Amino acid sequence: MSDIQQYLLDYDRNKRDASAVAQQSATRLQNGDLKLLALVEELGEYFNGEDGATRSKTMSYLAEVLSLVPQRALSLQQRNLLCDFILSRFEDVEGLGSCAKGLIALEERGKWDNERVRAIMETLLYHTHPLRQYKQQSERYPVLRLIDTLMAKYRDALRTLHDTTPDFMPRFISYFDGEKDPRNLMVVFSILRVPMTEWTIGADAQELFDAVFNYFPITFRPPPDDPYGITAQHLKDRLRDCIVSTPDFAPYAYPALLDKLDSTSMNTKRDVLQTITSSVSEYGPRTVGLYSITLWDALKFEVLNVQEEDLAQEALMGLAAIARTLSQGTSGPLNAYLRPITKECNEHLEDAPTKQSQASARILRTIAGVSPEVTNLIMAGVLPNLFLLFQTADTMAKKRGLLEVLVQLVRADIEVYGDWRSVGLAKEHAPPNALAQFRDQAVEVMVNGLSTAPVKEVSFRLVCLDGLLELSKARQLLSDDDVGKIIQLFHAIVTDEESYGKDEIKEAAMNGLGEIAHQKPQVVVDRAFPAFMAQLPDADVNSSKGYVPVLEAFAKLASEEKIFDTVILRLKNKFSSAVKQNASSAYIVALLSAMLYALNQGASKLEQNHESLLYHQDIVLPLLARTSSVDASHPEAFDDEATLDLVGRICNIIVRSQPLDQQNKVSAELYTLFRETSQAELPPFSTSTSPEYNRTMIVSTHLLASFRKETTLPCEVQLLISSLANYSQQPLLPPQVWSASLRQISLVMNKFIATPALKTCLDPLLKAPIDIFDPLRLDPPRIRIIFACLKGILLRSSPILSTLYPQLLSFLSHPQYGLAVAHGFATLLQPDDLLTKQNHCQISGLHKQKSFALLVPNITQSFRDTSLETKPNYLIALSGILKWTPFDIVVEEVGQLVPLLLQSLDLKGEGLVKEAAIGTLTSILQERPKQVEEHAGSLISRLLNTSSSIPSGKVILSSDVRKEIPANSMRVRATALRCLTLVPEQLRQEIVLPYRGQVVKKLTAALDDRKREVRGQAVKCRAKWLAVDEDGDED
Amino acid sequence: MEPDKDNANPTILNASDLPSRRRESSVKQREDGGTGLFDHLIPHYNYLSDPFERPVSASDSDDDSVEDIDEQEIYDLISSISDPEHPLSLGSLAVVNLPDIRILPPSSPHSTISTVVVEITPTITHCSLATVIGLGVRVRLEQALPPRFRVDVRIKKGTHSTDEAVNKQLGDKERVAAALENGTLMGVLRKMLSTCE
Repeated sequence: MSDIQQYLLDYDRNKRDASAVAQQSATRLQNGDLKLLALVEELGEYFNGEDGATRSKTMSYLAEVLSLVPQRALSLQQRNLLCDFILSRFEDVEGLGSCAKGLIALEERGKWDNERVRAIMETLLYHTHPLRQYKQQSERYPVLRLIDTLMAKYRDALRTLHDTTPDFMPRFISYFDGEKDPRNLMVVFSILRVPMTEWTIGADAQELFDAVFNYFPITFRPPPDDPYGITAQHLKDRLRDCIVSTPDFAPYAYPALLDKLDSTSMNTKRDVLQTITSSVSEYGPRTVGLYSITLWDALKFEVLNVQEEDLAQEALMGLAAIARTLSQGTSGPLNAYLRPITKECNEHLEDAPTKQSQASARILRTIAGVSPEVTNLIMAGVLPNLFLLFQTADTMAKKRGLLEVLVQLVRADIEVYGDWRSVGLAKEHAPPNALAQFRDQAVEVMVNGLSTAPVKEVSFRLVCLDGLLELSKARQLLSDDDVGKIIQLFHAIVTDEESYGKDEIKEAAMNGLGEIAHQKPQVVVDRAFPAFMAQLPDADVNSSKGYVPVLEAFAKLASEEKIFDTVILRLKNKFSSAVKQNASSAYIVALLSAMLYALNQGASKLEQNHESLLYHQDIVLPLLARTSSVDASHPEAFDDEATLDLVGRICNIIVRSQPLDQQNKVSAELYTLFRETSQAELPPFSTSTSPEYNRTMIVSTHLLASFRKETTLPCEVQLLISSLANYSQQPLLPPQVWSASLRQISLVMNKFIATPALKTCLDPLLKAPIDIFDPLRLDPPRIRIIFACLKGILLRSSPILSTLYPQLLSFLSHPQYGLAVAHGFATLLQPDDLLTKQNHCQISGLHKQKSFALLVPNITQSFRDTSLETKPNYLIALSGILKWTPFDIVVEEVGQLVPLLLQSLDLKGEGLVKEAAIGTLTSILQERPKQVEEHAGSLISRLLNTSSSIPSGKVILSSDVRKEIPANSMRVRATALRCLTLVPEQLRQEIVLPYRGQVVKKLTAALDDRKREVRGQAVKCRAKWLAVDEDGDED
Repeated sequence: MEPDKDNANPTILNASDLPSRRRESSVKQREDGGTGLFDHLIPHYNYLSDPFERPVSASDSDDDSVEDIDEQEIYDLISSISDPEHPLSLGSLAVVNLPDIRILPPSSPHSTISTVVVEITPTITHCSLATVIGLGVRVRLEQALPPRFRVDVRIKKGTHSTDEAVNKQLGDKERVAAALENGTLMGVLRKMLSTCE
């Protein structure tokens, strides 16, 4: 049997076998076993047969063989022969696709000459026009690919064909008429784009345009199993590329597009607007100039009467794009475009503040940000009128509306001309900024507004303030003097003005100062700093606290890098003189707070900068000396634990970035703090000292926290640990000192014990005389030592935890102290402000996972076996861990945890536990709603009970509800409601629906809660539940 | 484009000028006149605060005082409703205003029923959507207030050409109930209420 016979047999049975036959023929052809002539002769009989299907399959065979022969297996002569042969087959209505495939294969095997290309194109148009007569899209597709290949590789040949054949173009265009298949359309669009962009189309422009615009807008939705992955967006993009390809289309495109803009479909409008925007960018200034006003008249409605916000945005982009294109051309068309815009916007401004005046502001702002030319024209067109309207405005609201427009324009101006720190898009050689002409007027109007308007005109003054801030930022606009005046005005608002409402003005003024400091640091230092200093007394004689807002504002300025040092320096000087003048403790604390705040702002700067050595000398050492001294240099304020905490924090932030040798010097004085007394007589080594010595432990703790791991401690580690353990067990220690010494244990455990020694580090505590884990000697101070040690160790994820944790967990069933131990679990994973990376602590990235894995499964297991009285301890311990564990760690255990969490809600008291439990339940609802589905009923009823003021089961007259002291705290009630709000969002409707009636009814109690916050949450929750069945109606 | 809007260009109030509850805790009440910038310098979970000693229940002292439902709270409930014509809130269009909200205490000592009276001001006197707005306010309050409140929504006198007719409609329980059965109308109301927080 010959190959073709075999192929025809296989074709209908199995396409792959047929292809194998073609491959076989191709190989024989290559080896010379089969002559091309013989092959073609064999086919002759089938090509001439009556049966169309057979003819088609025969062509398919030939095309497949050709596509499988290797390159260069066919000579030029053979290829020409084959080409002619295939072309002759185009007369046949059958096998078109295969013909095209054959030609594509031949083209891949050797370049054609122009004559050949021309012949192919003409044959196609002669015999197969229009293409839509072939019903199968798979038949048409290869033809389109063939033409696409020709367009890509033989562009000149085709263009010559177009130039020399008068009626070529119309036939070419109509050839593709009626194509509907998305894959084919993608190719058609790409074919037609070539003549659009590159050929002289002249009279054919409209036809060519219509050929693609007929498909606008694309409403195609791909079938779910679309093998080609073509989306509507792909088609839209290609179609848009065609429409915007040549300015010749403008006369047809704009009327058609604007016509479609009236469509009621938002998608169509969106498409139209996007197409307009890209067309004006492509068509060039000459063409756009002709249509700019028509477009403005149409697009403005989308902004003035917003239907959908994104449509308004798109329309604004279009308007801006027109201005951008026109500003590349001559000034005439640009002027002509901007004139009606400024005119209309000016009209709308007359009745500001309205929806349309706001829209006008948006239009002006967007267009003005396009180029310096446009900015200047708009400023000149709008501002004189705006100031005139302002002078004659009769209401504050109107003045405010007008100034809002001004501020928007200044913003646009900055975008174009830049601010003091960076050049805008105008670059260096821009025309002079037109805003300069209006500078004085603008400053005057807004300075007046800000300083003379009554404080209750919040929004008006906010606009003035905003405007002044923008003006002071604008590049090279205001003189330093003017900026200085604005600074003084802001400063006066921050420090002198009485407080009003939400204090929006003060806050804005404070932030404004910061922003100006960013732009003009020196002016702020020169103008604002003397005023600040003048308002800060050296010593507060009367008890007025007027300095607090001043200090706040001043400390805030430290966040600006360039003036950070000056702020710190001035605060330090103020502090020294205040101490000298015997200022009140409150003032000293305020100064210390301001200093700490400022240092925190510049913490990153301190880390890189070696000037911190200076701070060490000037700030840390004097502070330490004052802390430990007993003479006149020791301020009374330093006898307070909270003040010493501030002092400690200030020292910490400076010392922690010091080099090792500096730290070693401080470390030697860690407990003596440069006193003459020997270390052994001081805490923690001596337990019989006077109270003021105990207090300095707080400062020592912060110093210890600031040290690097390599720093040498003032004594041997084991001695320090056992001394601290003994010291912390003294009964009469002030609580803060007690906590501080415990925290030192954590710090030492974390930083100063090498990993190999970690196993044995606890030995001094585990063995007699301390024997920390002895259940008989368990008491609160010893419980805390255990937690303090663990806190330091667990951050290192040490393996020793697996022996320590079980001992700790066993204490949960301790009859006397089980509850205290349970509460301690909340401290384990709680974030800590001393054990941090900045403080050189060793923090393993996986420590939370590790502790969770060692603790939680154990707790859920023991919970089942333990007695009823100690069950709550396990729930409390669990909530303490969950509270600080990220949900992605918890998620593994969710199935086990849900029942325990629900039981936690039944505990009496224990608000924190309930809050943590609800917190975890909320996360579960958000991330793994499936896990709570089976518990929905019990979850809903428990949350309702928790949210209610009345203890469940108690009957109270409705009139007395609000007099009852609630069983759960306000926060718990509100959290429960927040969680309950999530239930209908996250669980499937059929699960939630049965509870709707009950929830909606019971929530009326929470609507009458005694606290506003709870009521607000109840309103939201109830609205969600009321909507439960409504959603069903819509679907 | 909807050229048939009753009022295509309403006046808009700025959010800063709308009445709001001044947060007592954060503002003004500070004796020192500061903004509390330094209050957060020391984290609340810092080592000086002791988790062991913390009160076992988180019952904060705040719970002792009762905050009653007042006019501002009613205003907050309804000012965020969207206008059916514009994507703007009833508050910023000054359709609902704080002075036009009154809470009347129970009429007799034996009764627990208080009444909330809300007068709405349409943006223009011939606004055809006044009834819908009134209905929206009414539905919102009925959903959000405890049952011991009666809700009375009406058009402010003299602000609408047919205010009496509209008031009659809004006051008629059966007509309100019938209106809420209407699917299209409920759709509009749902959209208006969707911006409420």
